Amino acid sequence: MSNLSIQGLSKAYGAGGIRALDNFSLDFPADQCTVLLGPSGCGKTTVLRSIAGLIAPDAGRITIDDAVVFDAASGADVPPEKRRLGMVFQSYALWPHLSVAENIAYPLLSAGLPKAEMARRTEAMLDWIGLGGMGARYVHELSGGQQQRISLGRAMVARPRAILFDEPLSNLDARLRERMRLELLALRQQAPFTSIYVTHDQLEAMTLADRVVVMRAGKIEQVGSPEEVYKRPRTRFSADFVGIPNLLEATVRSIAGPELVVDTVVGALAARSWRSDWAAGARCTVAVRPTLLSVQAEGRSGRVVRSVFQGASTIELIDFDGTEVAIESLGEERHAPGSSVALKPAPGAVFAVLDD
Amino acid sequence: MVAALAVVMVFYPVVVVALRSISKEEIGSALTLEWISAVFNSARSREALVNTVIYTAGSTVLAMGLGVLLAFLSTRTDMPGGRTIGVLALLPMLVPPFILVVGWVALADPSAGFINILASALAGERTTWVSINTMAGLIWMTGLFLTPYVFLMVAAGFRNSDSAMEEAARVSGAGRLRLLTTIVLPLQRPALLAALLLVIIMAAGDFIIPATVGLKAKIYMLPSLIWQNHASFPHRPGLAAAQSLLLVVVGLLCIYFQRRALSRGGRYTTVGGKGSRPMLFPLGKLRYPLGALALLFALSSSVIPLLAVGSMAFMRYWSPYALKPENLTWRNFNYMLFEYPQVWPSAQHSLFLGVAGATACVVLAIALSWYVIRMRGKFAGIVDYAMVLPLGIPGIALGVGILSLWILVPGGIYGTLWILLLAYVTAHIPVAMQFVGAALHRIHTDLEDASRIAGQAWTGTIRRIDIPLMAPALIGSWLLMYVVILREISLVILLYNPSTIVLSVGLLDVWQNGFYPELAVYSLLLMVLGLLPVAALWKFARFGFD
Repeated sequence: MSNLSIQGLSKAYGAGGIRALDNFSLDFPADQCTVLLGPSGCGKTTVLRSIAGLIAPDAGRITIDDAVVFDAASGADVPPEKRRLGMVFQSYALWPHLSVAENIAYPLLSAGLPKAEMARRTEAMLDWIGLGGMGARYVHELSGGQQQRISLGRAMVARPRAILFDEPLSNLDARLRERMRLELLALRQQAPFTSIYVTHDQLEAMTLADRVVVMRAGKIEQVGSPEEVYKRPRTRFSADFVGIPNLLEATVRSIAGPELVVDTVVGALAARSWRSDWAAGARCTVAVRPTLLSVQAEGRSGRVVRSVFQGASTIELIDFDGTEVAIESLGEERHAPGSSVALKPAPGAVFAVLDD
Repeated sequence: MVAALAVVMVFYPVVVVALRSISKEEIGSALTLEWISAVFNSARSREALVNTVIYTAGSTVLAMGLGVLLAFLSTRTDMPGGRTIGVLALLPMLVPPFILVVGWVALADPSAGFINILASALAGERTTWVSINTMAGLIWMTGLFLTPYVFLMVAAGFRNSDSAMEEAARVSGAGRLRLLTTIVLPLQRPALLAALLLVIIMAAGDFIIPATVGLKAKIYMLPSLIWQNHASFPHRPGLAAAQSLLLVVVGLLCIYFQRRALSRGGRYTTVGGKGSRPMLFPLGKLRYPLGALALLFALSSSVIPLLAVGSMAFMRYWSPYALKPENLTWRNFNYMLFEYPQVWPSAQHSLFLGVAGATACVVLAIALSWYVIRMRGKFAGIVDYAMVLPLGIPGIALGVGILSLWILVPGGIYGTLWILLLAYVTAHIPVAMQFVGAALHRIHTDLEDASRIAGQAWTGTIRRIDIPLMAPALIGSWLLMYVVILREISLVILLYNPSTIVLSVGLLDVWQNGFYPELAVYSLLLMVLGLLPVAALWKFARFGFD
């Protein structure tokens, strides 16, 4: 498939000029899945709809395979039907007056394919998405998961240059969401395609992405592999978004190349930063994932505030001189509120020092 | 382009009416205020003004009372047969008002009406129980005619009430009566207000009843007087324009307040989609009496007058003593359908106007709705607002406006079917737009976006996605337009000429000549022609704004 590139995209909405996108630039490599991750209102959907041609940004350029599809400066704006993209909508956006096969064949019909070729490719697509023999049914007769697959089939059938996913799984219930996520992954492994995937669900982002782009207020907060973003968020915002509640004040004790040792309320921790200008004694913030801490007998102790059993794991909230630290353990051991415990990092754990 | 055309089409009649009412002769002559002062100072006009106010108030009160009561009883109580009554209450919308008029004349004419014949038989010769030739009679007919509109606007709200809100009130300690007065009715306030203003506009501008029974009973009203000032000597088109202007001003004020009521209705929005059926108020011992009464009222606005018209159509002549088996005859049908010279030309014209007008309305409504809702063009606000105006302009006043302009254009469209078509389209576009707009709003934009991305340009998207999805609503609004255009008279009464006569005007001719059995046949023909496409397309159509 194709390379896609965005340069300097800006878009403001409404009279107040709320900036949905602010000088946003990003390259989307061919055959990779780029996930735009962020809360609602961060501009991720605006990026997607700008690529699709459904909205016109105020400034910037969008190119697909070096061909300009949008350029605010020159006024170029290729309409969506000429961009040869596929899109999977949150609402599925399947047409209720058409059968399953007609829904899938629609892009082929628009492309003016001969009837026989259209039928052949529609059949093949139905088989590929696991709905062989269901082409004559109507959309409302099928389940949510099946509808989502039709939506995917329609997006892919005309072999588009890239496929855009607009929170495609958020209308499904939790179990179906998990299954569809794994199916999507399997489909992409069978035949890689360029995809741009918008979601606010970090789990989806981690599973599906080759590259995660955390967005905030129309700008990029952090770009990296899922592992990088998950383990080493750059900012408070990223840390919060990948589910790290413990942001501890710390002091840099020693520096060895990229490795730091920092002092925190729970004791000394090994850490690493994206910045390289740290000096010993500098104040910083470390993001500490609750699962990477466990209880030990010796060391600086805190007081257990609350212990919450939540099925698979137990979350305990421990107060260190006014700083509350959450830990999550899979073990059976629980501590009574008020009791004193000390914490240690999991063996080999390297924590993230935030930029800000 | 279409948008600009539509705005001009809607605005110019209003401007022309205003200009004409301050011009001594045709537009362009010296300015004068004599016509406007004459509206209030000439004895006949003042009398008409007072009558119009009484008539409007009376029929509005009746229609609101009946409409709200029937809607409440049939949707929110355990009254038996609620659904049936709900359907019956809406039937008059399908029956041309002329049928209602002829039917009630047949029933309640002071000497030859069926009710009074019955009275004479029971209580002695020449007893008159009811007379249609009175203000009360006029109000009764108009009230019945307007009831379904109130019912339609209010019943939907009652039916969709959020049961949780009412349950919350019950749990908070409200009894049934308190629930009704503090929650159920106040929640419908925007709908009630909107219905009230609509009914005021329709009653004040109503032409057919003042022009038939009203003139016969010498009860003059503004719409009938406007017609008289144009159609009979002495011609006073300036006065007619001034009287129209008054109606237009009242109508536009009502429309303004109605829009405001509806737009403020936002905070009342309660339609959640799911939720349990709202509680039914138990009527106790009153169940059956109220049910019977509701049935009687529902029947008297359609079925009963229809039966009266039906039986009148078979009577050799119409007089108090004519109700005998030997007076039954097919002669009227034979005469009206095959010998009366006006019938087929008028039917042809009406069918042409109905089909062409409804099609033009729906096509224009699609284009305009698309412009306003999807393209959100520069002038979307103006178009949206302009499209509401005709709702506030009574047909007769719109007729005056269109006439005053086109009469000035030499060799133009005056006196052709095209001017009638123009009038119909101008008057009915707003309603078509409400239907089409509601249908377009229901289509999620994702469905269109998906089609664009799948390679269809917006024209292809409208053709392949929007129109098929809206088809039932489009057919529904086409049928509505067709039926309404076929029966419409106030709009064309000033614009037709003998070569462009239409069914409804032909009916008025026969009325003026006093041939009632023939009139019955003629009005049945109008109804049948109106209902044929409805019957044919019924199952493909979808009605309503929900």
